[in-house]
Amino acid sequence: MSVSWLLRRLALILYTVFIVSVLVFGITQALPADAAVTLLGENATAEALNAIRERLGLGDPIWWQYLRWVGHAATGDFGLSMRTGQPVGPEMLTALGRSLLLAVAAILVMLVIAVPLGMLAAVRQGKAADMATGLISYLGVSFPEFVTATLLAMLLADSLQWLPATGYVSPLEDFGGAVRHLALPVLTASLILVAHVARMVRSETLDVLHSDYIRAARLKGLPERTVLVRHALRNALLPVVTIVALDVGYLLGGIIVIEEIFAIPGIGRQLMVAVTARDLPSIQAGALIMSATYAVANTLADVAYAVLDKRIRYD
Amino acid sequence: MTAVLSLRDYTLDYLTGSRPLRVLQDISLDIAPGEVLGLVGESGSGKSTLAWAIMRHLPKNARELSGSIRLGDTDLRGLPPRALTRIRGRRIGMVFQDPSTALNPTLTVGRQVTETLVNNRGLTRRAAWDLALELLGHVELRDPDALMRRYPHEISGGEKQRILIATAFGCRPELIVFDEPTTALDVITGARILDLFARLRAETGVAALYISHDLALVSRVADRVAVMKKGRLVEEAPAASIFARPAHEETRKLVAAVPRPENRLVHDRPGDRVLLAAEAVSVRYARRRLFRPPPPPATHAVGFDIRAGEILGIVGESGSGKSSIARALTGLADFSGGIRFDGRPIGSARDMDGAYRRAVQIVFQHPDGSLNPRQTVGEILSRPLKLFGTGSADLPAGNLAAEIGRLLEQVRLPAAYATRWPHQLSGGEKQRVAIARAFAAKPSLVICDEITAPLDVSVQASIIELLLSLRAETGAAYLFITHDINLIRQIAHRIAVMRRGELVDLLPIDAVDADHVHPYTRDLMAASPTPVG
Repeated sequence: MSVSWLLRRLALILYTVFIVSVLVFGITQALPADAAVTLLGENATAEALNAIRERLGLGDPIWWQYLRWVGHAATGDFGLSMRTGQPVGPEMLTALGRSLLLAVAAILVMLVIAVPLGMLAAVRQGKAADMATGLISYLGVSFPEFVTATLLAMLLADSLQWLPATGYVSPLEDFGGAVRHLALPVLTASLILVAHVARMVRSETLDVLHSDYIRAARLKGLPERTVLVRHALRNALLPVVTIVALDVGYLLGGIIVIEEIFAIPGIGRQLMVAVTARDLPSIQAGALIMSATYAVANTLADVAYAVLDKRIRYD
Repeated sequence: MTAVLSLRDYTLDYLTGSRPLRVLQDISLDIAPGEVLGLVGESGSGKSTLAWAIMRHLPKNARELSGSIRLGDTDLRGLPPRALTRIRGRRIGMVFQDPSTALNPTLTVGRQVTETLVNNRGLTRRAAWDLALELLGHVELRDPDALMRRYPHEISGGEKQRILIATAFGCRPELIVFDEPTTALDVITGARILDLFARLRAETGVAALYISHDLALVSRVADRVAVMKKGRLVEEAPAASIFARPAHEETRKLVAAVPRPENRLVHDRPGDRVLLAAEAVSVRYARRRLFRPPPPPATHAVGFDIRAGEILGIVGESGSGKSSIARALTGLADFSGGIRFDGRPIGSARDMDGAYRRAVQIVFQHPDGSLNPRQTVGEILSRPLKLFGTGSADLPAGNLAAEIGRLLEQVRLPAAYATRWPHQLSGGEKQRVAIARAFAAKPSLVICDEITAPLDVSVQASIIELLLSLRAETGAAYLFITHDINLIRQIAHRIAVMRRGELVDLLPIDAVDADHVHPYTRDLMAASPTPVG
């Protein structure tokens, strides 16, 4: 992994974000929503509408409006929300922070469950443990997240009263409360991911266990535990890195449902609210921030790949 | 004195589908302390299964019917898995065929050597590391300290095999099983590994089971040779006499299949017409980059010519650029320099028109990779027939089936094979299909890129016989790339010797032993194991 490779990847992220910015801006322009009407309401007078159009620069050529928007966005200024009148940038970044917290926690919980489960299934191939893992995996992928979420909330929040059903508490203010509030959404998100990651780990481990170097490791007298943990695990985990990076994308998008159910003001939920309210600056900011996060996550996955497998060299 | 390893009446089946398949039948053999027993046989004769049985690493569908396997006074068959772990590595070591797949790609070499020593010799990590350095130095590896910190992909195949051998010997076992340890290496590297084996064996006095399909090689390293056929031991004899007086028919077949340079198979002389001339052909692989020196070329300004009907051998160790020449001549790799074909200049792959591509055909090393597994043999052969329209004139147009049948018979396969899939064929049969595909185009030059390397010695002999008779029928010239010196000395008119991308010698066959040859050519000729006796 060379510096020039990292620089090129960085340039690629910027390029991706640029393309997305053009798309996002173009699409919001094409929407039938008139910013001035949205701001002032249906009953505004023509003079008032013209005045606000003048103030917002809506009469300027499209490309000039785009450049102005991108120029401000580059400094973190995405404009004011049409709904609340607050700056959009800080609001969206805070929301992204909450979503990332949820996503990272979900991925960690998922890995802790899925990796041992997948390896167990591979080692016990064709036996009861393997069958059970397969069944759990199928159930996990078969249930849509709102079903899983509702079932978990009914069980853990309603019947057992162990966890709060909805809401969000910042871990900086009340760590215990944050954990309790995040538990249900994290569990829901991770259960869905466990299903396919466990299957992936299983098939990769099976492949690795049939490789020559595992046979060699066994035949040079290494105990089975060492063979599995030191020799098989690392190689079996390589493809999982890619899957996890894709899952970050899924979590940022698909998490909307989970955030909605558990009333977490994450970026997905903010984006939903923005779309409903035709809050153009918020939509633009949200879409751009999400795509940038996705691009960064994929680059990080490539870096992790090179760290884990020394044969992969980016230059 | 008691034997180190002793098998008595050992019989083993594989359960395949409906009925069991007998793989080993009543095997009895002994290896005395310090003795090397060579085990030879074609693929499928059961010699590898015997190694797995000794290592107690049999597939799940194996069923041991009778017999005993004893290591000293330990009955290996009766041991539970936990006890076996303590036998493997410590009392029986193993060296594998392909060193590049026997090492874990994600761990450093040092880590893999030391973990074995820690586990099998009960050393601390630090002591194991020091011992590993000593062992690696002892097998003539330069700069062991740096080597230990590298990953397997960063070192050569020969170095990897040395490391694996050093580790196996370093655990001080009573017996080491060698499973074709030089097959995946080129001639010179393989010869040096054999020298190393002889030296370590003399120093340590360890007993060994040495498995190979190459009788010539085994007769040089072993004290006694056992010959296997279809799961049975058919002959056991001292290595010194097995070549001179093979008793069993199978042994005689193996002896006859060993290529001997003095036994020329080609007696004619090629014509004078130059078919193809390569002028200063250089092949470069990596992309050019700004601010970065270009990578060294895979071949550098190689020039030679091939006359009509000639067999030109290209030899050299792996990485010497042999295959890059084949890729350049077939337009698979970009090259600089020029090619003249039948007097026509060809400056780049773009100049290779239909006529050139029809006339110059290639057969690859691995038929598994070059035959599409989703096409039947008939479909595979119909492609060049349709593409080049080379069906013979006396057949009605469109009569593909008859033409495919004729091609198959030409390579001595039944015409009914047209409906078979590649996976239903043996390695030798697959290579025959690949040859038939090349000849479907009615070529005037066929490039054979290590086509016999994955095959047994006896199958190799029959493929060579086929190639020679096809040449007699069609007058095609061959560019025969190989690292089997003895084989190429039997058939080539001239030999081109390559080293590090450069052509160091281009010699008529009767001049390869002359005094004026390049020192590297002399090394290469000396490194080829010729049969004992």
